[in-house]
Parts: sequence; structure tokens; C-alpha cells
Amino acid sequence: MSLICKDIVKTYSGKDVLQDVSLELQPGKIYGLIGRNGAGKTTLLSILTAQNPATRGEISLDGQGVWENRRSLEKLCFSRELNANAESGLASMKAKEYLRIAATYYESWDRDMEARLVSLFELNVKKKLGKMSKGMLSMITIIVALCSKAPYTFLDEPVAGLDVVAREQFYKLLLEEYTESGRTFVVSTHIIEEAADLLEEVIILHQGKVLLSGETQSFVDSACHVSGKAEEVDAAVAGLEVRHVETMGRSKGVTVFLEPGQKIDESRDVSVQPVSLQRAFVALCGEEEHK
Amino acid sequence: MNERLTEQKSIYLQISEMIETDILRGILLEEEQVPSTNELAKLYTINPATAAKGVGLLVDEGILYKRRGIGMFVSSGARERILAKRKAAFAENHLAPLLAEARSLGISREELLNMIGERSI
Repeated sequence: MSLICKDIVKTYSGKDVLQDVSLELQPGKIYGLIGRNGAGKTTLLSILTAQNPATRGEISLDGQGVWENRRSLEKLCFSRELNANAESGLASMKAKEYLRIAATYYESWDRDMEARLVSLFELNVKKKLGKMSKGMLSMITIIVALCSKAPYTFLDEPVAGLDVVAREQFYKLLLEEYTESGRTFVVSTHIIEEAADLLEEVIILHQGKVLLSGETQSFVDSACHVSGKAEEVDAAVAGLEVRHVETMGRSKGVTVFLEPGQKIDESRDVSVQPVSLQRAFVALCGEEEHK
Repeated sequence: MNERLTEQKSIYLQISEMIETDILRGILLEEEQVPSTNELAKLYTINPATAAKGVGLLVDEGILYKRRGIGMFVSSGARERILAKRKAAFAENHLAPLLAEARSLGISREELLNMIGERSI
């Protein structure tokens, strides 16, 4: 009972956007998909939900291929970022109509929840999508994702453009729906700090490859920040995987990723501090700028 | 239970410590039901698995116990057990950093003892 993708490759005009991506998404978990702009997050989500064919590789849900398989597709919902521009043809569509169309796609669409969320977000559904702000469009994608009741639901940047109050409302709604239904959610986000504690598992996509996939807690626990006099820091972290080095005069700070069994030499005169998911992510994926 | 979470420590540890602190302060009484992991998850907007891990720690230590089909309860004797545990960890958690700071400031053992002597507990 899981959504599995194996060795996914996606090539756009000769360029590999995804390279050998293999993942297993287990039922009843909240996954975070994080990565920098252009890492391939949206492409991966659209391929996992069979809205976009992979160049190579396979995707299966509970052992069944997903591509053009109605029974599998019914269990998947990918609520894309809404782009109500002229090309998408959505600009002149009213929010109400968009939601009505979405409702016909999903067998278990929850009308009561739709009404509740529209009023919670104070959305005017008579408004045309083209006249809506980025935040309002995000609210609509959130409503589609939650009301679809799909066992595997994918949200692409659901909080983009939302103000802080609406973002907190979304996190609470997601948790509420998750604890009540046990659905699987995969959420891509750039606002890592806020979502970190919600995510049981984290998938880090970097330049089209899965850099890491595992429990959020163990990833965060494996990283720490060591600082002090440069020589002391170097001695304390000798032989360890060091990232994100910053120096100022004689002082030095580094982020260290520990393998199981490894330790920092704390007999040295250094400060050792935990790091957040966001800091660990920057240390892992933000290397280029610091070289 | 309504403390804020910090980034300085794993969330599940903070959850278990907050429940302990509430037991010490008499906010949660022995043989009383504690909030469910879903309630904790919602209050802190954290994953329920994380809340469950924090609660699980206390179950392992005998501070909480499970009543099948009802929920988690504070064990009798939990308060004593937490006190004993925190006292045992006091030297490591509080004295070690104090001594490290004293060392880097060049405070002598005698000076430190004097400072402690001047304060009432």
C-alpha cells in the first residue's frame, strides 16, 4: 500500500530535469518536498500524479501502474499552483465554476468542507480567477486539495502569497484533515521553517536528484552548528562532513552532518548548537554561493 | 502545556518535558487524563507522530500509562519520579554549563562557591 516511483528520468529538450528519482510514499504520512527554485519539484509532483509522462521510469500505486489507470488516478490529487493568465484560459472563469469542475473530478468531493473553507477564507467565489490575488488563488488550490478527499494528495506551494494568519489556518486545517482521515499529503514549500514540525518525512530535491529522503527528525538531529576559534573548530570536527563554512577573523562557524556513531569532540573550546530544518537544508543545498 | 516551542531542542523532547513540568506544577494531576496526541499536535501544529513520540517517552518511563480505548493518564507516583529524574540530571544539565562558563571567565572554585553562598535558594 504505497506510491512508488522507480528511476524516474524527465528530459525537456535534451536537459535532464529529473535524474533517477526513486521514492516510496507510504500511506498515512505527511511528506515535505523541499528544494530550490528549478530543482524539479513541480515536475516530480506532476509525474507522480500522472499529469505528465516521465521520459523513463515507473510509477505504481499499490502495485498497479498509475499512467492512464483510472482506479489509481482516482486516489491521487495534485492541486497545482493556479495560474490565471491569458494562456491558461482560466482568467475569465469564476472561482465557483472552477470548484464545481474540480468537484466532478473527485468521487468523494466533500461539499460541506468546501462551503466551510470558502467561508473560513472569506473568499468571494463569484469573482473571476483573473481578478484574484495570488493568496486567493492559493486558497482555492488548498480547498481543491482538502475537499478532493484523495488518499494521496499533493500540494504545490500551497502557502505562496498567503498572509501569516491564513498560513497558520492552512497548517491547522491540514493537521485536522490528516488526523481525521489518515490521508497521505505531500507538500512542497519554500517556507520551510513554518512547516518543518508538520512534516514526518522530508524529501530534498536538488538539481533534479533526491539528495535525501527520510524522517525529518533524524535529519535535523544529524546536523549541528559548531563555532569558536578556527583551530578549535577544525579540531572538534576533524574527519566529519562539514558544510557551510563561515569565517570572520579568527572565528569560524560550520554546519556538520553526523553519520550514526560519529560525534563532535566536545573537549574542545567550541559551542555546539542544534540547527533547524531550514538551516540544515541551506547547508546542504546552498553550497555554491559560499565557495 | 502552553509554553512555546523552541528550536534549541527536538520537538518530541520538548513535548515530554512540558507534560512533566505540568505534572510538577500541579496543572496535570496524578490519575488524570492527559491531552491526546492529536490534541497536542493541533495545539502546537506539529506532526501527531512527533507528539506520540514525546508521550511515548513518558509511557516508557512509567510517568504516563495507557488505558485501552480511553487515552493516556498520569501514573500515581509520577511527580516523585519526575523529581528524582530531574535531580539526577541536575548536575549534567545545569552545573556542567555553569562550570564551563566559570572556566572561560576565569572564576575560581572559591569565588564560585562564595557566589552560591551569598544567594538563598
